[in-house]
Amino acid sequence: MWVVLALVPESAWSAKIGDVAEESSLGQQAFRFLSFRDPSVRYAVIGSVMLGISCGLLGCFIVVRKMALVGDTLSHAVLPGVALGFLCSGVSASGLFDWSFEVANITKNPALIFCGAVVAGVAGTFLVNTLKQTTKIKEDSALGLTLASFFAVGICLLTMIQGLETGNKSGIDKFMFGQAAAIGEDDIRLMLGVTLLIVAVVFLFYKELLVTSFDAGFARSIALPSQWIHHGLMLLVAFAVVIALQAVGVVLVSAMLITPAAAAYLLTDRMHRMLFLAVGFGVVSGVLGAFISFLKPNIPTGPCMVLGASAVFAVAFFGGPRHGVLTRWWRHVSRSKRVQRENTLKALFQVLERRDAQPEESVSLKELAERRRETLDDVSGQASALKQHGLVTLHEEGNKILFTPSGWQLACTIVRNHRLWELYLTNEANIAPDHVHDDAEQIEHVLGDDVVRELERMLDDTTRDPHGRAIPGFADIHKPFAPSAPGPSGYGRS
Amino acid sequence: MADTPATNGVNFPLEIHDLTAGYHKKPVLWGIDLQVPKGKLVGIVGPNGAGKSTLIKAIMGLVPPSSGWVKIFGKPYNENRRRVGYVPQRESVDWDFPVTVMDVVMMGRYGHVGWFKRPNKADREIARDCLDKVKMLPFAKRQISNLSGGQQQRVFLARALAQESDIYFMDEPFAGVDAATETAIIALLHELREKGKTLLVVHHDLPTARNYFDQLLLLNMRVVAYGETEEVFTYDLLQKTYGGRLTILSEVADAVGQRAK
Amino acid sequence: MSEFIPAFEWQRVMVEPWAENLSTTFWIVLMGFLITAACGLIGNYLILRRMALVGDAISHSVLPGLAIAFLLSHSLNTLPMFIGALGAGILTTVLIELIHKKTRVKQDSAIGITFSTLFAIGVILISFGQTDAVHLDAECVLYGEIAFVPLDLVQTELGPGALSVVEKIPGLNSEIFLNGNRLTIAPPSVIRMAVVTGITLLLIVVFYKELLVTSFDSGLSSSLGINSTVVHYALMAMLSVIIVSAFEAVGAILVIAMLILPGATASLLAHRLPPMFGITVVHALLSAVGGIHLATWLNCSPAGAMVVAGSVLFGLAWVFSPSQGLLRRWLGRELDELNEEELDRLAKGV
Ligand SMILES: Nc1ncnc2c1ncn2[C@@H]1O[C@H](COP(=O)(O)OP(=O)(O)OP(=O)(O)O)[C@@H](O)[C@H]1O
Ligand SMILES: [Mg+2]
Repeated sequence: MWVVLALVPESAWSAKIGDVAEESSLGQQAFRFLSFRDPSVRYAVIGSVMLGISCGLLGCFIVVRKMALVGDTLSHAVLPGVALGFLCSGVSASGLFDWSFEVANITKNPALIFCGAVVAGVAGTFLVNTLKQTTKIKEDSALGLTLASFFAVGICLLTMIQGLETGNKSGIDKFMFGQAAAIGEDDIRLMLGVTLLIVAVVFLFYKELLVTSFDAGFARSIALPSQWIHHGLMLLVAFAVVIALQAVGVVLVSAMLITPAAAAYLLTDRMHRMLFLAVGFGVVSGVLGAFISFLKPNIPTGPCMVLGASAVFAVAFFGGPRHGVLTRWWRHVSRSKRVQRENTLKALFQVLERRDAQPEESVSLKELAERRRETLDDVSGQASALKQHGLVTLHEEGNKILFTPSGWQLACTIVRNHRLWELYLTNEANIAPDHVHDDAEQIEHVLGDDVVRELERMLDDTTRDPHGRAIPGFADIHKPFAPSAPGPSGYGRS
Repeated sequence: MADTPATNGVNFPLEIHDLTAGYHKKPVLWGIDLQVPKGKLVGIVGPNGAGKSTLIKAIMGLVPPSSGWVKIFGKPYNENRRRVGYVPQRESVDWDFPVTVMDVVMMGRYGHVGWFKRPNKADREIARDCLDKVKMLPFAKRQISNLSGGQQQRVFLARALAQESDIYFMDEPFAGVDAATETAIIALLHELREKGKTLLVVHHDLPTARNYFDQLLLLNMRVVAYGETEEVFTYDLLQKTYGGRLTILSEVADAVGQRAK
Repeated sequence: MSEFIPAFEWQRVMVEPWAENLSTTFWIVLMGFLITAACGLIGNYLILRRMALVGDAISHSVLPGLAIAFLLSHSLNTLPMFIGALGAGILTTVLIELIHKKTRVKQDSAIGITFSTLFAIGVILISFGQTDAVHLDAECVLYGEIAFVPLDLVQTELGPGALSVVEKIPGLNSEIFLNGNRLTIAPPSVIRMAVVTGITLLLIVVFYKELLVTSFDSGLSSSLGINSTVVHYALMAMLSVIIVSAFEAVGAILVIAMLILPGATASLLAHRLPPMFGITVVHALLSAVGGIHLATWLNCSPAGAMVVAGSVLFGLAWVFSPSQGLLRRWLGRELDELNEEELDRLAKGV
């Protein structure tokens, strides 16, 4: 860490572009940003990329370790450190015991602020741990308490600084909500150093971080110092928070840790993919936020970046390929359609079974509707859905319905599943025969081939279900099937 | 009981019909059928994860059933809550909570007190009596975090007594208590049974289960057997309960749970 | 350093606020006390239900509610603000539930995502809607301006008759209320806060049993027929109302301290809820008074100073708590063991 600090020379605070920009129009601003010529634009973009990388990487571990709110606490707790670091720049030491404090000397020195903030952040986490260990106060209260107390001290210090007679306090107010445009060359060097450090640590200690995040007990059992890894991680998080402060602000910096990582968590199950995704999301939302806040003066960067990240999360939340809410809803809909189709096929099968007929025979929709206890309209809708899937054919202006070979096979399978399951529940699970139907109605649609084979192995006699009806077997399913044109119609009910 | 119609005594204290219940649509219990007669002390036994706690929660409506129904004295649980007493698993509450032993027992009376009112002297008397019955009266003013595991269990029991219910569900009241306390608790349960209360008690120790309970419910995702202890406590049935889970049942339950996701 | 930390002059710090600026000081302290008391009372339940950080989330996310209410109604009237905040509070609770029930994202991340998103929306709305008329400014959002509270006094002119009556009433005839022939009622924000605090206290007393049972054991509460979901949402609604009435004075983040500090202090000192409520109120009073002196001394934000004072009180309780105190830890545990033994002997004797 000290190496990193050595990279940072002391120099004056560069001018803020936000102030210069006030006159120009939206289009001009956008052009200035995209043309990338302005050094402060470059700094802002590079800074956002850095913070996206470091927050994204560490955020993943924070999210899987369920420490999101520790990150939040830490980011609020750095505020008094920021103020103190700011003040310390006014201290000059001319001898070992000869310190003097000159208000006029106060500048915004990134290195001092960095140190102050890290110390405060670490002190905050230390306080949380001590509270949890020595009292009965639970984690959530300890976090909230630390967060707010530290923040209050910070507010007192800040308001005191604002009361001081110094022309140099500009910049400190930007720590609340962040202003990417205020990032200067010194900040960039600091950010670069810290980001490299974080990337290196995550790369080198990936295994250890993974194991301790997944199962701390196991990690201890293979003699990994989980406690130290935890502290090290917290220190890195403090670093990441501090370098992100300038752009995102104290209040929302935790969101840059949590939100991109949580979005990545929704999209993948593998840790290394999650890391890459989170970094990507972090960078995108960071740059986007910087861009938007650049367009108009007075718009703080932090909230824009956070909204960018939230938008990414929202997309993952709704549209994620596996866990997305809309995706799942769509899966649910198509599954219930399938269940619907299978139920209609089953009813068709049962009608034929009742009249002891051959699979090639046709059934009128009216009969089917009676069997399903539904209206004719409903049934004809279902029939056309079945036809679309090639499971049946329709004849006589859609009034007669006829299995195709694949439809017959599917129907047999469903009925077989149903009856096998009923048999299993009664014989093996001791459930009364008149209570198994409802369960089987559900289960018939989810039984996989393996389970069916296992059921067949387990049950001695699979020819009759508990109600005495025949269970369609292999021979039935693969019955030679020669559908003639519309079969002889007009059979009465047998 | 006044509201138990005399008509050939069909109103069982607990009647469960074809109950399938679970978490997030994933069934944990399948097709449970049960009729428990009045004045019985019933032990519920089964391996870990068999769904014993889930059964109690489903009866109390804390876990929604996906099919079937439960009746308490012939009425749905919601209409007869008052007559049900519940002793949860000890770990289910925060023992650092700022209440005294007396406060906890008094909670058992809240159902009788009603909205906007405070417990009166009679309630306090009852609470004291119940504490006395479990020999915890000297601890009445202690904060609950200063109790040992067995003492905590007795406090829960006293609270259930204070509810003055007709049917009790107890989830592992013997977990982590010493032999003396166990004997005391079982004596108390017998006393309650003599008063005509019905008790369903989740229990983990098979050898003692045989002596403690009138009836046993062997549970493993479904009712393996239910009946008088002598009839049910057989090697075969116990083997069926404990030996090997019904792998298919849990596999299929997982498949259903997956589908719901 | 003297430029930064002024010397502690007894006269200036401790006496003058009450002697010279009695009216201002009184209203600020009263407001601080009311806020901390109301927050502390409901905070006790948040702590017990492990929902301290839901309180954190709601305190941030009332902001967009306020901003939208303002943009729609073009006024800072109480009613639209309350409705906006209430809506935002409930929305937060629902969103948190939604995210962590519907996906594999855990509750802590869900809280973080929800409040940061809503808060960011709020900040952006405010910076867009920035006009001269708006006095929700971005800094104020964070730590409020309790010092502005007494600027807005409601006063009525008294006729000579009424004046002579009022002058005779002890308490009312002080300079807090009486300025020439004008009688000060109170700053509207203080009145609002007083009403909210009163209602909070009333609800806690009336629904003591229900709140206690649902917080302690939700299984039992359902068997008693108390719907814990309803209680949960009612609590959240009350919390939103309290937060929005405190918002202007103490802002989004300091209010978290006021929610948690009194209850946490009380939990170190007492073992039952009723005395905890007592300690909460005392803590509120002490931190309000301590805060105003601290702020006068250091010349900093009074709201921040009140929280710092409250934290100091918490620190004292942490050190000196009879059961969990650090002091007791350091001195060893002999006292404790003796007590336990004695109690056990008693128990056996009976
Ligand atoms: N809240 C929950 N959400 C999801 N699944 C649950 C939940 N609680 C229990 N389960 C699952 O339900 C099954 C039955 O759990 P239950 O607690 O009823 O078992 P049990 O018989 O009481 O076991 P034990 O002897 O350990 O108390 C288990 O497989 C468990 O994983
Ligand atoms: Mg259990």
